Amino acid sequence: MQLLMQQMVDGIAWGSLYGALALTLVLVYRASGIINFAQAEFAMVGAFVAWQFHDWGAPILLAIGAAMVLSFFGGAAAELIFVRPLGRNASHFTLIIITLGLMLVFNNGAGWVWDFSTRSFPEIWSGPVLNIGPAVLSRQAFAIIAAAGIIAVILYVIFQRTRVGLAMRAAVGNPESATLSGIGVANLTTITWGMAAVIGTLVASLAAPQLFLQPNMLFTTLIYAFAAMILGGLNSPPGALVAGIIVGVVENLAGTYIPGIGNDFKQAIALVIIIGVLVVRPQGLFGKKEVARV
Amino acid sequence: MNIFAKLRTQQLPVQTPRPLAVVGLVALLAWFAYQPLVSAPFVNFERSMVFVYVVVGLGLNLLTGLTGQISLGHGAFFALGAYSSATLVNEYGWQYWTVVPFAAVAAFALGYLVGRPVLRLTGLQLALVTLSLALITPSIIKAFDDITKGQEGIILDTAHAPTAVGLERDQWVYYLCLLAAILTLVVCHRLAHGRVGRSLIAIRDNETVATTLGVRPAVTKTYIFAFSAALAGVAGVLYTWVVQFVGPDAFGLHLAITFIILIIVGGIGTTAGVVFGALFVVYVPSMTADLDQSIAGLSFGVTLLLFMFLLPTGVVGLLRVLAGYLPGHGKRVAGVDESESADLDPLTLSK
Repeated sequence: MQLLMQQMVDGIAWGSLYGALALTLVLVYRASGIINFAQAEFAMVGAFVAWQFHDWGAPILLAIGAAMVLSFFGGAAAELIFVRPLGRNASHFTLIIITLGLMLVFNNGAGWVWDFSTRSFPEIWSGPVLNIGPAVLSRQAFAIIAAAGIIAVILYVIFQRTRVGLAMRAAVGNPESATLSGIGVANLTTITWGMAAVIGTLVASLAAPQLFLQPNMLFTTLIYAFAAMILGGLNSPPGALVAGIIVGVVENLAGTYIPGIGNDFKQAIALVIIIGVLVVRPQGLFGKKEVARV
Repeated sequence: MNIFAKLRTQQLPVQTPRPLAVVGLVALLAWFAYQPLVSAPFVNFERSMVFVYVVVGLGLNLLTGLTGQISLGHGAFFALGAYSSATLVNEYGWQYWTVVPFAAVAAFALGYLVGRPVLRLTGLQLALVTLSLALITPSIIKAFDDITKGQEGIILDTAHAPTAVGLERDQWVYYLCLLAAILTLVVCHRLAHGRVGRSLIAIRDNETVATTLGVRPAVTKTYIFAFSAALAGVAGVLYTWVVQFVGPDAFGLHLAITFIILIIVGGIGTTAGVVFGALFVVYVPSMTADLDQSIAGLSFGVTLLLFMFLLPTGVVGLLRVLAGYLPGHGKRVAGVDESESADLDPLTLSK
């Protein structure tokens, strides 16, 4: 029982990370219609920037905050430079190749600037573990869960309670009509990319103490984030968060209770989830079914 | 149409006068056959790697270039071939060349099993699934560490020339890889320019129309996926002859990107482009290797971005545009109706 509880708690903690990363993928997908394979690398670079500020003497919270502000401009710039010029009718193939190219550039660029060795990243909330019933949870892991919750609330308020959020939803729902109503769809897309980068930087900075900071730190996480994105249904932000937690719990329980699934095989679970969901229920748990006109 | 616009649209192939083409081909083959006898072992191995990549690239070109199905996961089939070779030769004492048909069949079967469900997906989903496959391939290899020796990898000593031939190992491997590349080239060329090739292009451009014309998209796509997987498997075997080592980290994301570069740099959908691509992926990293650990990856990333923005039709596209300015060719290419050449545009694929 204690083991089960512990695995659930760990699963929720990791799942919040997967969910938050999946959320950034979903935001970009809704805005631009592409899966940005470089999204996790944006987050990784954001964490490196935070580390750099801290290394220069800034307190860690301030460093993460500054990195988040910078990543807003970084994410927006990536959209402006690499995606907007292609226009709305660019083929998926072109966009896939371009985001793959960005992934490589960011990954190796970080390796060039900060090299590939792993470094430690300070925790924002250190101290003895928290007791949750029979299970324990590190304070940093709690911070990740809390951050995912706060992000969800903030996004909900932005999307449902502000004019910008309304415009964003309109831009996603029907770009043509939104444009005709005087909404700057292209600019909102750019802003969305910036927002996604900010969220990515925050969660990557929070996960960095556990994962250790290095250019490939989010590769493994990325597959689970893909799984969460597909399970949640590509275009549903709350779906991504919930599915992230589901993926985290399933992955932890399977790794513990199904014999023969060690640490290495655990990643295959993500692939099984992805293929299974796409074949059985392509719209995921919370997504809208896409209707195509032939 | 200015030159940048021309570089973005697919141009028709340049017609080389037949005698010139025949002489050129014979000269090229003679050069290929003669070179290993006078080159250093290191050079021969590097050239053998070019042939290995040509074998993979031709299969991917059929799949992505002609059929419009993107796969980032063919490194898994390449790894299957490589590990089959390492294990069967080392542990079970197979003759090294008998692994080739085995790997082809095994990779074909696995490709069929994977392709059947996965090819129902649209472009983005297919890319996501196959990229995930590429990301987990190393950890799957490590999970079977009783066979694959995990992180350690397997060293093998194989593909020595029969004593009757009297060649050094590097020369023998070079000739074997050359033979494999030429055979693959002939088969893929025949496939691409016949009935099969036309049905592949029909699937890429419009599946609905292809269906009404009697092509069965699901079946055709699956078989082409399996066929390209089989070529990747064979290439994996050849790879072990050249490198004589397999380790899990060689088959991850980097290999997936290498395969994509392979078909993009030369010019997607063209056979000659694959050869350019293979030269690129072998020689660019080896030229940049002594600069910095990250330069090879960085140069690959920048290459992808630059080619997608400036030269989506690849080196072959560039050559075709330049050939259009030659006296004698100018009229032919300039006279092509633009709507006609748009049908060949590879950048509309998987939309």
